[in-house]
Amino acid sequence: MLGRIIRHEWTNLAADRTVWVLAGLMALISLYGVYNGATWSAFQRENIAMALDEERDRLAGHRAFVESGQEPASRFRNPLSPDSVGGSMGRRYAYLPPAPLAPLSVGQSDLYPYYFQVSTNSKQSFLNTHELENPSNLLSGRFDLAFVVVYLLPLLILALSYDLLSSEREQGTMAMLLSQPLPLWTLALGKIALRALVVLALALGFSLAGYTAAGGALASMDALLLWMAVVAAYSLLWFGLAVAANALGKGSATNAMLLAGIWLVVVVITPAAVNLVVTTSYPIPSRVELVQALRTATEDANARSAEVLSQYYTDHPEYLPEGEQPDPNDFTLRSYAVREDVERAMAPVLERYDGQLLRQQTLVNRLKWLSPAVVAQEALNDIAGTGLARYQHFLGVVDRYHDELRSYFIPKVSARATMTTADYDAIPVFEYQEESFGEILGRVSAGIVGLALPMLLAFGVGARILRSYPVVG
Amino acid sequence: MTATIFKKELTEMLRDGRFRWLSTSVLVLLGAAVLMGMAHTRDVQTQHETAQAAARQDWVGQGEKNPHSAVHYGTYAFKPTMALSAIDPGVDPYVGVSAFLEGHRQNQFEFRPAQDATAMQRFGQLTAATVLQLLIPLLVIVMGFSVFAGEREQGTLRQLMSLGISPGRLALGKALGVSGALAIVLVPAAVLGVVALTLATPGAEVAADAPRLAMMVGAYLLYFGVFVALSLAVSAKAPSSRLALVVLLGFWIVNGLVAPRAVTDVARSLYPSPSSFEFTTGIQAALADGLDGQSPTDARMAAYQQEVLAEYGVDSVDELPISFAGLRFQKSEEMGNEVFDYYYGGLNDTFESQNRVRSLSAVVAPLLAVQSLSMGLAGTDVAQHRHFSEAAEEYRRMYVGRMNEDIAQNAGAGRYVAEAGLWASVPEFDYQAPSVGWVLANHRLSILLLFAWLAVALTLAMRAASALRPV
Amino acid sequence: MLKATDLTKTYNGVAALDRLNLEVAPGDVFCLLGANGAGKTTTINLFLNFIEPSGGTAQVNGLDVTRQPLETKRWLAYIPEQVMLYRHLTGLENLDYFTALSGTDHYPPDQLRAFFKQVGLQDGVADQRVSTYSKGMRQKVGIAIALAKQAKALLLDEPTSGLDPKASNEFSRLLQRLSGEGVAVLMATHDLFRAKESGTRVGIMNQGQLKQTLTTAEIGHADLERIYLEQMHD
Ligand SMILES: Nc1ncnc2c1ncn2[C@@H]1O[C@H](COP(=O)(O)OP(=O)(O)OP(=O)(O)O)[C@@H](O)[C@H]1O
Ligand SMILES: [Mg+2]
Repeated sequence: MLGRIIRHEWTNLAADRTVWVLAGLMALISLYGVYNGATWSAFQRENIAMALDEERDRLAGHRAFVESGQEPASRFRNPLSPDSVGGSMGRRYAYLPPAPLAPLSVGQSDLYPYYFQVSTNSKQSFLNTHELENPSNLLSGRFDLAFVVVYLLPLLILALSYDLLSSEREQGTMAMLLSQPLPLWTLALGKIALRALVVLALALGFSLAGYTAAGGALASMDALLLWMAVVAAYSLLWFGLAVAANALGKGSATNAMLLAGIWLVVVVITPAAVNLVVTTSYPIPSRVELVQALRTATEDANARSAEVLSQYYTDHPEYLPEGEQPDPNDFTLRSYAVREDVERAMAPVLERYDGQLLRQQTLVNRLKWLSPAVVAQEALNDIAGTGLARYQHFLGVVDRYHDELRSYFIPKVSARATMTTADYDAIPVFEYQEESFGEILGRVSAGIVGLALPMLLAFGVGARILRSYPVVG
Repeated sequence: MTATIFKKELTEMLRDGRFRWLSTSVLVLLGAAVLMGMAHTRDVQTQHETAQAAARQDWVGQGEKNPHSAVHYGTYAFKPTMALSAIDPGVDPYVGVSAFLEGHRQNQFEFRPAQDATAMQRFGQLTAATVLQLLIPLLVIVMGFSVFAGEREQGTLRQLMSLGISPGRLALGKALGVSGALAIVLVPAAVLGVVALTLATPGAEVAADAPRLAMMVGAYLLYFGVFVALSLAVSAKAPSSRLALVVLLGFWIVNGLVAPRAVTDVARSLYPSPSSFEFTTGIQAALADGLDGQSPTDARMAAYQQEVLAEYGVDSVDELPISFAGLRFQKSEEMGNEVFDYYYGGLNDTFESQNRVRSLSAVVAPLLAVQSLSMGLAGTDVAQHRHFSEAAEEYRRMYVGRMNEDIAQNAGAGRYVAEAGLWASVPEFDYQAPSVGWVLANHRLSILLLFAWLAVALTLAMRAASALRPV
Repeated sequence: MLKATDLTKTYNGVAALDRLNLEVAPGDVFCLLGANGAGKTTTINLFLNFIEPSGGTAQVNGLDVTRQPLETKRWLAYIPEQVMLYRHLTGLENLDYFTALSGTDHYPPDQLRAFFKQVGLQDGVADQRVSTYSKGMRQKVGIAIALAKQAKALLLDEPTSGLDPKASNEFSRLLQRLSGEGVAVLMATHDLFRAKESGTRVGIMNQGQLKQTLTTAEIGHADLERIYLEQMHD
């Protein structure tokens, strides 16, 4: 019986030209979305490659200079000095390579920097970079596949199913149908099943097509499957809502308005309202305050530089060769000590930003369940590796690399060593360690559950209301 | 006659539960957005003022030191906020809030507020501008989609037209009905908003903001007019009210959601922005070897030295009546400025070209026109950010020039330390926002397209109404 | 086959159907007569379980329709006043779909076509889209659907509305044939003449009440009309 209904619905749908137009349009914008995402990932890859080339050439130049045994031209740009090389001369790129599924969702990746120039200098000096981007473009956001899925796919679903039952009632076939021994829920299920098959085939097909077109490897198939699971759960949720709305037994125009209203609330208003609640609950002060604080801290540390220096080597005995005493008048050593003192002084100031952001994110994590659109977007970003979580993981990796560089260079600076070619070869190299798939899976699974529960609820409520469906009148 | 129709439409609308419900929600959202926006703007304004004052104090209180050290010590420019940004924050979250003004280099604006925000920001902020640009048109559509189609389905249109009313009058009456209902929602909101805004801003600024605010109101009225006329046209033309609703909702989605994003990527591919990497390495290379890559800075500096010696008719810098160090700093500054002008100018021109594509795309989506106009009037568009950053850069060049001039005039041989009074002689950075005229000239394309949309929508509505058939 | 016991339906306290007691045995053709709004359609809707009764029961083949809505529908066929079909599909496809849903064994296409012939639709019509059909043609498809279902009871709500006189006449004969085969028929109609011709019994309804039941064999046309008008007076 169900199969018969599905087949019948297919003939009915297929006879409707607008359905084909809609499907074609969906195909077009999906591919456009993937194309945009792929262009962006390729752009990032290209820049990372250029940066690494530049780094290789630069360091090879310095190393060749050391090998040649020439005298350095300047005290400040000296390839023999660990101070210079550990500083801006030998800066290394720490980069976040786009994940395999990055072409599917640009996410926050157009806002966050994806490479830093790490040196022994303070983090403040290299963290505040970003890609050059027209602010208007950032404001509107990108047209990627995730946008198509989160915003437009529900509209396609609603366009196909807002009059699931109401149209039968309006064209008078409902009474004919239900004079047969046919349970109403079977009818509704058959109709939904066909539409879900069509929509999912479209959406999943385009995900796969886009993924392979963007050069995705089969090795990251598990991520792709995860992506598809999120898309399926999110789509079915909207089908559930359409069933529930139709079960109320109102006319098609009312259904259309009701469902459009739900879409508006879920996709536009709730996320914006959550954002408003979050930013007013934990306002983040403007960074202009940071600028001033940094300046004050630096001046203060400079004024106390002798004291700061002795404290520095008490804290870091490993930086000093056995039995040596630091020269309290050494300008270079002082600058390292001052740097660390400033960092210490700035920690509570930075906490006001980072800690506040963390509190915002915690609140978002709690409130996001109010809007399945947010849940879906975050899950898709997570899978594509363009969300906050992977970025913070990256910052952690950068942090460790920064420490590694410091532990490598500062003892050499303290010992007034000279850089040899062997020293050059031993400079720690940045290596990005990807998050484990298990971690991503954990986060995304929570999202899928967060989509599946309201979906089951919608279908359940729909089935419940369907029992008292007004066939006539 | 028109008045009678108007009255009937209005009465019907006000009795409609849907309308009351929707308009109340829109009003609540609008109110919340304006209040939060104002609170935020006030916070940001105070923070900026405090920071700018502190930066000045630091500058003036440097004590005795070499002017070139002062140039390295530098100062900061903090972007001020206009009161109207409470209504439309525009691109403010996506541009840096401060730039370090120091010698030798032009720095980019740092610290974009959006980087200190969760991903929720990207779903769009709940601002008055969002409500006005997205939600009010939706309200108009919900009110207007059935004005003709619904009457046709009820069969009342047959009755009406049998009375011999001219379709034009009927359409006018209905348009006024929808607008009247909208006015009942918006006029109190606008009055409250203006009063709140006036109370919250200092007197001098109110006078400056008034024309901007008035034009903003005008721009939004035009925009709503487009939707009123379009809803009527579609409602008259569509065979059923259900189809009218679907068509209008489709337009709303393309206008509000699809177009802005699609345009982003189109504009980027037409006018690709350079990557940050290319930009910075390009600047570094040009600083070393000139924009043409053929004129090493050292060589040019040596030539300049010869020039100066020849001008004064002496053989060595020690014989110069002034300090050559000052001249050299200044010359190096000027050579750098040439590079910065080229790169930053090029970058900003690219952004401007991209934004022109956005404005031009208002041909398909009136939102793009009203959005850019609204940001412009609120002082939160890219052009005004550029205006500010160029003013900051000009200030940087001015003060660095003064320091170098002081070195040239006063530094003799040996260590030179300027008096503490020198710092205060540099005027404070006092940014003047551009005039309304400047803003309007910038957005003339958007204004033109907004009017064109209204004209087209009105024509469509009149045509559809005059071809109205009751069955 | 069909049995109503104190069957009542009220809308906002007003009785649309008031304690209807009625039994239609196999072979019976029971015609419901009555003014507009008398409650005829309401009765049929109650047997189809389209609406919930406010009191009493409706039974089909001894089963309560509210308790076993699906089982009872297996016995029933229904032809509404306006047979509505899927416009994008042909008459044949519509017939195919509805018979498939009715749970009857699947018919081969030529057998489906035979039903079209049986209800008086020309060859070729079956393969046209329903959107090109006239109202009467749609009505005939409705009859074909009912025939194909081989139901034990027919619920007909002014089934001949829109049929031309010849088709009406054929329909009457069809009913007589079915009645001979032991099908129970409950038909709402305004056509006194047809009711007398094809019905075995007629019931006259007014304001939700069944006022009088007559056996058609026992009265003439003129009597029926007189009695009907009398019942409408109060
Ligand atoms: N959904 C409803 N809500 C309120 N009253 C209703 C509803 N449906 C029917 N009625 C009322 O029930 C009564 C019986 O209606 P019914 O449709 O059964 O009449 P009928 O005998 O079929 O009339 P007709 O000859 O016009 O088809 C009428 O008075 C009608 O107004
Ligand atoms: Mg009836």
